Amino acid sequence: MRSMRLGLALAAMSAVLLTACGGSSTSSAGASGTIRFSGWTSTPAEDKLLTDELDAFKVKYPNIKVTYEPVPKDFRTKLKAQLASGTEPDAFYVELGDAAGFMQKHVLLDLRSEMAKTGTNASDFSGKVLSAFKSGDTIYGIPKDSNTLALFYNKDMFTAAGVSPPTKDWTWQDLTSAAKKLTKPGQWGLITNADAARWAAFVYQNGGQVLNSDNTKSALLDPATIEATKYYASFKQNGSGTYSGALGAGIGWPGDAFGKGKAAMVIEGGWIIPFMKDYPAINWSATELPQGKQRGNLVFTVGYSISAKSKNPDAAWTLLNYLTSTDNQKTVLHSGFALPTRTALASDPYFATHPAEAAIFAGNAYAKPFSWGVNSNKVADAIGTALERILLGKQSVEDSLKQADKEVNDAMAS
Amino acid sequence: MSVGTTPMVETNGALPTPVKAEAHRRGRPWGEWLTSYAFLIPAIIVIGGFTFVAMAMAIVISFFKYDGFTLEWAGLNNYAKALVNADFHRALLNVVYYMVVVVTIQTILALSMALVLDRIMVGRGVFRTIYYLPAITSSVVMGLIFSWLFSPGGWVGSVVGIFIPGLRQFGWLLDPGTALPAIMTTTIWSTAAFFMITFVAGLQDIPTHIYEAAKIDGAVGWRSLWNITIPLLRPTIFLVVVLGTIGCLQVFDQVYVMTNGGPLKSTLTPVFLIYTNGFRDFSFGLGSAEAFILFVIIFVFTLIQRRFIDTTVEY
Repeated sequence: MRSMRLGLALAAMSAVLLTACGGSSTSSAGASGTIRFSGWTSTPAEDKLLTDELDAFKVKYPNIKVTYEPVPKDFRTKLKAQLASGTEPDAFYVELGDAAGFMQKHVLLDLRSEMAKTGTNASDFSGKVLSAFKSGDTIYGIPKDSNTLALFYNKDMFTAAGVSPPTKDWTWQDLTSAAKKLTKPGQWGLITNADAARWAAFVYQNGGQVLNSDNTKSALLDPATIEATKYYASFKQNGSGTYSGALGAGIGWPGDAFGKGKAAMVIEGGWIIPFMKDYPAINWSATELPQGKQRGNLVFTVGYSISAKSKNPDAAWTLLNYLTSTDNQKTVLHSGFALPTRTALASDPYFATHPAEAAIFAGNAYAKPFSWGVNSNKVADAIGTALERILLGKQSVEDSLKQADKEVNDAMAS
Repeated sequence: MSVGTTPMVETNGALPTPVKAEAHRRGRPWGEWLTSYAFLIPAIIVIGGFTFVAMAMAIVISFFKYDGFTLEWAGLNNYAKALVNADFHRALLNVVYYMVVVVTIQTILALSMALVLDRIMVGRGVFRTIYYLPAITSSVVMGLIFSWLFSPGGWVGSVVGIFIPGLRQFGWLLDPGTALPAIMTTTIWSTAAFFMITFVAGLQDIPTHIYEAAKIDGAVGWRSLWNITIPLLRPTIFLVVVLGTIGCLQVFDQVYVMTNGGPLKSTLTPVFLIYTNGFRDFSFGLGSAEAFILFVIIFVFTLIQRRFIDTTVEY
C-alpha cells in the first residue's frame, strides 16, 4: 500500500514537472542549459564513436552543455542508487532487464510530449524494439540500437566436412544433421550454453512459452517448451555440441570457441562481429536462425531514457533525439558496431554487402524482446541453472524444468 | 601516537610542574584532547560512515522491503523468507563444508611452515619472504590465475593427467563436485602463508628456558612439540582458528572471480547470495536479513571456539 502511494506521488510529481516544462518552453530546438548524460563504457573504439557523436552535438547545439559521465563497471547498480537518492543524470542508458521495473516505479519521463515537439513518431522505430520501453501507450525510452540472434558459421569447416552452408530456410533437422557432420576430435558442431538468452529463441521457434502472457506465472512446463528444451540439450547429449566453458582455458564465451576454431556454429548477436576482427584467420559468415514450427528469435536492446525529475527535459530530449536520429544511426551502422532501430534504415545498402548484419536485422521481424517483466533476472537465473543441470547430465529435462518452474513461481510470489 | 609531543602541548610547559602533573592526573589538557580528536576525525568519519552507519542501516533495512525506491515495512518477513530459502540453506551448507576443510588444513599447514621456518638457520628471511608472498597477492589476481590452472587442459589437469589420463581435459571448476574444493585450494594457498607469520610470532614468544628445562627432562623432538610448543601456542592457535573461521564464513571474492556461485550452486556462499540479492535483484531487505543471520552464526561460532580452546597460558 505504502509503495503504491509513493508511486502515485512520484507519478503526480512527474506530471507536474511535465506540464511545468511544457508551459515554459516553446520548442526543443531552442533548448539550452547543462545536462548530465550517463552510460557504461564499451570497447575503446565504440567509446570513441560516442564521444565523437557528442562532439558533433556540441557543434550543432552550442547552447546545450552535455556533461558525459561514463561508468566503467556496475552501471546498473550505480544508476539504481542514483535514482533512489535522486541524483541521477538527466539522460541515461536503460537496460532491457531494468526497463519494466523503472517504468513501474515511474522514475522515467514519458517522452511523448517531447517527441511531439520535434515531430518524432513512435512509428519511426521498430515496433518490437520500442515495445520494450512502452507501458500501454506511454513511451519511456528510445531504443539506442538493437540486436537479434543469428547463426554464425565457419565457412572452411563446412567446406571441409562437405556440408552446404546454412540458409535462412534451415529447419531444426538440418541444424542437427549439420552439427553431427561438423563434429570431429577437437571441433564441435554447435555451442549451446546454459543460457536463457539462447534457449528462449528455440522455445519461441517451437511455439512454446517461458511465462504466461502477462508475465505473472511460469509457463516452463508447457509441452512445447519442454520439447524445445530437449532439442536444445540434444547437441550436448549426442556429442555434436558442447558448452563453451567445457573447452578449456581462455574460452569464456561461445565467441572464443568460434574465434579459436573449436566450433563450426555459434548462435550470437552483432556483438560478435567486431570481436571476430581479432581472428582474421577465421573465414565466417552468418544467416538467420533455423526455424522450428515457426520462426523465433530474441531482441536485445538498450534504451535512452530521461529522468522523470530532470530539470531540463527539453535539452535532454534534444540530445536523445540527435543520438537516435536516422543520420546518426546510419553512422553507427556503417562503423559496424550496432544495428539501427529506425525503420527508415531497413533498406540501407550496407545490409546488401554485410550478410551477418542483414540476418540480424531481419530477425527483428519475428523476435520477442529478451525480457520477462520485473523479474527478468530471476527468471533467466532459474532457467540458466536448470539448463546447467540438464547439460551436466544431473537431471532430466522434465525434472529440471519442474524445479525451475517452482523457483520462477516463488520469485514471482515474493 | 606522538600526540604528547605536539607543539600545542609544549606550551603547557610554562605552567608550574605540580599543576601540570595534576592536570595529567585528572585527564589530559584540552589542547591535547582536541589534538587527539583532530587526528582521529578522518578515521572516525571513514569507519563511522562506511562501517557503523552502514551496519546500523543494514539492520534497519532488514525489517523493510526495500528495492532502492520504496520502503515498505516488512516486520520479520525477510528473516522468515531467508530461513526457508533453499538457496540460503545451500549457501550455508557450502560454507560450513568450506570452513571445516579450509580452517583445518590452513591451520596445520601454517603451523608446519612456521615450525620449519623456526628451525632454518641460513636464509630464514628469504624463505619467509617466499612463503609469505601468496598472502600479499590480490585475491582477484589469484582467483584468475587459479581458474586458469583448474581449467580443462590447464596445469592441474595436465599434472593429474600424467597419472590418470582421463582427467587431462577435466574442468575442475565446471563440475559441482570439484568446484568448491578447487576454491578451497586457492584460499588455503594464500591464507596459510598469512597465518604462518602469526605462528612465527607466536613461536618467538615462547621462552627458550622452557625448552631448555624440557631438554633436561628428556623431552625433545615430537614430545617437545606436542607437550610444550602446541600448549603454549594456544592463544595463537585460537586467534588463527577464529580469524580463519570468520574469513571462511565471509568468503566472496574467489567465488565471484572463479565460479559466480556455480556450477549448480555448488559454490554459492552466503555473502555471494547476499550480494546477488542486494545488488543484482535489488532486494536489499532480504539481503540485509541474510547478512544479519550470517553475523549471528559467526558470533556463535566464535563463542563456541572460545569455549573449547582454552587460551590462558602460564609460562
